[in-house]
Amino acid sequence: MREFMHYITNAFYGATGWSEDNSYKDLNATSRELIDFPLPRGLRLTLSSLATPHFGTSYQLGSVGVVDGSISYLYSTVPLAAVPAQSDEIPLAALLRSYRRLQELGSRERQWFWSTGEPTVPVPPRTPDNDKSSLLYGRLYLPQSLLEGLVVKRFSSELQVQVSAVSEQSLRNGGTVLGLVQYDKGKYGIEGLASTDGGLLGVRGLYNFGGDAKRNSKSSQKSEAQIAAEKEGIYGRFSAGGELYYGTLNKSGGMSLGMRFATLPTHRGTPLTATVTVNPLMGNINTSYAVMARDYCSLATRMEFNVYSYESDWAVGMELWSDRRPAGFLLGADPTLQLEIESQPVTKIEPRPEPPRPKERSFQAKMEWRLDEPEPEPQPAAESIKSVEGSMAENKKEEYLGVLKARLDQNLRVGLLWEGRAKSLIFSLGMGVDLHRLDEPFRSLGLEVQYSS
Amino acid sequence: MAFNFNWSPLTADAGFYERARDLLTTALNKSPKPPIIVDDIFVTEFNLGSVPPDLEILEIGDLAEDRFRGIFKMCYSGDAFLTLKTRVQANPLNTYLSAKPGFTSPQPLAAASSLTIPLQITLSEIKLSAFIIVVFSKQKGLTLVFRNDPLESLKVSSTFDSIQFVRDYLQRTIEGKLRDLMMEELPAIIHRLSLQLWCPDQVIKDGEEEKEVEDHAVNPLATPPLDAVDAQGHAVDSIAISELSLDAGSEAKSLYSQQNVNRLTSLTNTQGTSSLLTDTIRDVMFRAWAVPSERPDSSHSPPGATPSLRRSASYSGGSAHTYTFSDSASQDQGHLPSRPSLVSMNSATTAGLSLGSGRHSKAGRKKKTRVVNLRKPSSEPSSSEIGDTASEANSMAPMSEPILEQPEEEASSNANKVRFIGPADVSQEQRRPSIRPEQVKGPEATPGIPSIEINSAPIKSQATPQKQPTSTDSKSEWRRSMPQSDTSSVILEQAWIMKMAGEIARRVYDEKNRNPAFWAERDDSPPPAYEAN
Repeated sequence: MREFMHYITNAFYGATGWSEDNSYKDLNATSRELIDFPLPRGLRLTLSSLATPHFGTSYQLGSVGVVDGSISYLYSTVPLAAVPAQSDEIPLAALLRSYRRLQELGSRERQWFWSTGEPTVPVPPRTPDNDKSSLLYGRLYLPQSLLEGLVVKRFSSELQVQVSAVSEQSLRNGGTVLGLVQYDKGKYGIEGLASTDGGLLGVRGLYNFGGDAKRNSKSSQKSEAQIAAEKEGIYGRFSAGGELYYGTLNKSGGMSLGMRFATLPTHRGTPLTATVTVNPLMGNINTSYAVMARDYCSLATRMEFNVYSYESDWAVGMELWSDRRPAGFLLGADPTLQLEIESQPVTKIEPRPEPPRPKERSFQAKMEWRLDEPEPEPQPAAESIKSVEGSMAENKKEEYLGVLKARLDQNLRVGLLWEGRAKSLIFSLGMGVDLHRLDEPFRSLGLEVQYSS
Repeated sequence: MAFNFNWSPLTADAGFYERARDLLTTALNKSPKPPIIVDDIFVTEFNLGSVPPDLEILEIGDLAEDRFRGIFKMCYSGDAFLTLKTRVQANPLNTYLSAKPGFTSPQPLAAASSLTIPLQITLSEIKLSAFIIVVFSKQKGLTLVFRNDPLESLKVSSTFDSIQFVRDYLQRTIEGKLRDLMMEELPAIIHRLSLQLWCPDQVIKDGEEEKEVEDHAVNPLATPPLDAVDAQGHAVDSIAISELSLDAGSEAKSLYSQQNVNRLTSLTNTQGTSSLLTDTIRDVMFRAWAVPSERPDSSHSPPGATPSLRRSASYSGGSAHTYTFSDSASQDQGHLPSRPSLVSMNSATTAGLSLGSGRHSKAGRKKKTRVVNLRKPSSEPSSSEIGDTASEANSMAPMSEPILEQPEEEASSNANKVRFIGPADVSQEQRRPSIRPEQVKGPEATPGIPSIEINSAPIKSQATPQKQPTSTDSKSEWRRSMPQSDTSSVILEQAWIMKMAGEIARRVYDEKNRNPAFWAERDDSPPPAYEAN
């Protein structure tokens, strides 16, 4: 489950038309989220609120043996009024969906939530004001007295600067600062970063080709042939990139190269994402494959191999959405839902209106030796109600109520996570199981409850 | 006087090396490892070699059927070797990220992917030179303390010998770890084992029953120098020592109830945490109550000198603990000839407390009977000189760190002097009370009735450094308040002060060392606290 502040930050990116597709660090985000989803530990309660369109707060209280918590604030210069912030309105997919679909390149009308697939709210018109927007975020952890701060500043539609900082006593020099400059040109994206910790400098970039990238280079108009090509066969985009780091103080570095193929939303077939990353210095090869087999089911596998040490690793992950009521005993007490449930059978019991029979002449008409007046056409009231109900039921079926995520890795460690909405609370219940130690298989257990208004 | 070691019987036992490897593996994996080590450290090969260590008796403070204490000098430059196996992380970016907060992490995609490399390290050409203080009593088991850093030099060879940087790093890291092992883990291990061997009822049950099965065989291994003293020494006192280990002391076990010991433990902990809630201990006889005046001056051996194995992370300085321990012990040793009754006190401070009350009447009669001074005569003049300066420094300000630049040999040499030189005795008296805050606070208190306000002791100790210089002026006051020094609260106080003094002594010793860089690598992070008993 993404945290509320993360969700709002994503909404900010959506509102300002910033796409995270072109960041090399998110190259394998889909498989990472499907496999390495975090399991909650202990009990954690989060109360959040988007108090004004510009300002959000979040309070978190957790207990893993000891009680701790955090307070966070967020300020955005862009009004986020259109963002559904109430926990009974937040689209679950935006909060929970792991499979990440690419967006069309260069579409200035970007979606609000990359994970929902389709925009849930109308995108506000882009103005030059959006291009100068900024976001401030701060979070204080107690009782560790750890302070996090983040500043995101857009300078133009292509350039964005992020500065994040952590202050804590135990850290060397009392804290670290990371600066990140992101340049997204659509066709390619470049990031440069610098960290005060160890004087780390880094650069990473991603270049897109094939699919819509090729089309964009030639002409912005879709030709008929291209659209036809999209419909048949696999239509997607290739992205290749690399990263390079060097610590100026500790004289160490690192690098990697990566490539991704992902289908685009216009692709009619099964959405899939395949990545391969190579670390030539450490001899590490990592491949992942994620597929959205159905709308309610996503699968991912990942394999790792090290050519120097011959170490290998594999992991599989799964995500299963469900439209059933997640915890029946919890929801059974909800009167509104029960009403809905009861109302449906009632409509079904209603007898269908009989087909209009030819009406008999009225007694008066017979007496007057004349035909009846032509009656006004009967209104298909019942039909229209039925059709509305049907569409509503369809909508209800579309809206999932919960998701089950599972993963399994080489060491036979299983992670199970159920996330869903019950009333207006969003729950996340996770469990880690180690199949190697069957005598005490449960490694961790946790429950997160999130409420926002 | 020296020992003639029969080194081979140690290795004759078939399961000996196996048990040794297990013990070492456990000890090495106890403390948290740096992120570069990604696996447990396994001891694959271990050989004691054929050259026995040189053990020299410097002093035997006390010798009786059920107790022993002495100082030994051990030198070793043999052909023992040890091979360790573990796995290290070769990607520097991976270890760099492991200790950093995730919020400011650069989040590399694959640049931080791990590459673990098996690493084999062989430690050989180990040169040890140490002063060892051994305190043994049948009731309290055996305490072995290194007075200085025992490790002189060490050759580390590994799979990365061809890379200069890695080799240097390994050398430094391993030396640091080995020092920790010898000075902190080893005394604790030995003490635990000896408790299992001699007084199983005092062992804290921690689910290590299988260890009890093998403790008889384990003990000689874990305490090679000491065991030699016990079992194989051909010296004058060999009979007495062997007697110690042979008959099991049963008469004194009932003297200390487990409950009281627990209470005292909690009491000691409240000292560390400044907690105001303490258990009251009833039916306790304090040493000072028992015979406050019958003792001569020289008999005021510091009760706090009970070598405290109880360490807590709140103290600064990682290896200072052991020094504490050794320093206090050596000082205690200095007073030994005059008061053998305290000899048997042992690792736990609390134990020392009840010990004093319990066996005072019995042990007091054996006073001054068994002082065996085997020290070389040649060492006396120099040591007494040092002792003079040291005692002066002590009387000046024993608490404040910058002033107290005592040489490393201070404690032992000073102790020697006590026996032979009259004036030194006075200075000794000066010194001892001056590190006792309680007397500084109230010298007018009646000597016979010491206050047992243990709770307030930490507060007093903070006030001590300011008051020290003035209080040293009048010796008579000190003398008068002498007996009070035996109060239980003072014991705890002194343990702390000894710790400070030990820390200072260590620093001075470090400076004196011919290779400063060698010593600069000491890890200063406080080790995890443990309780030895």
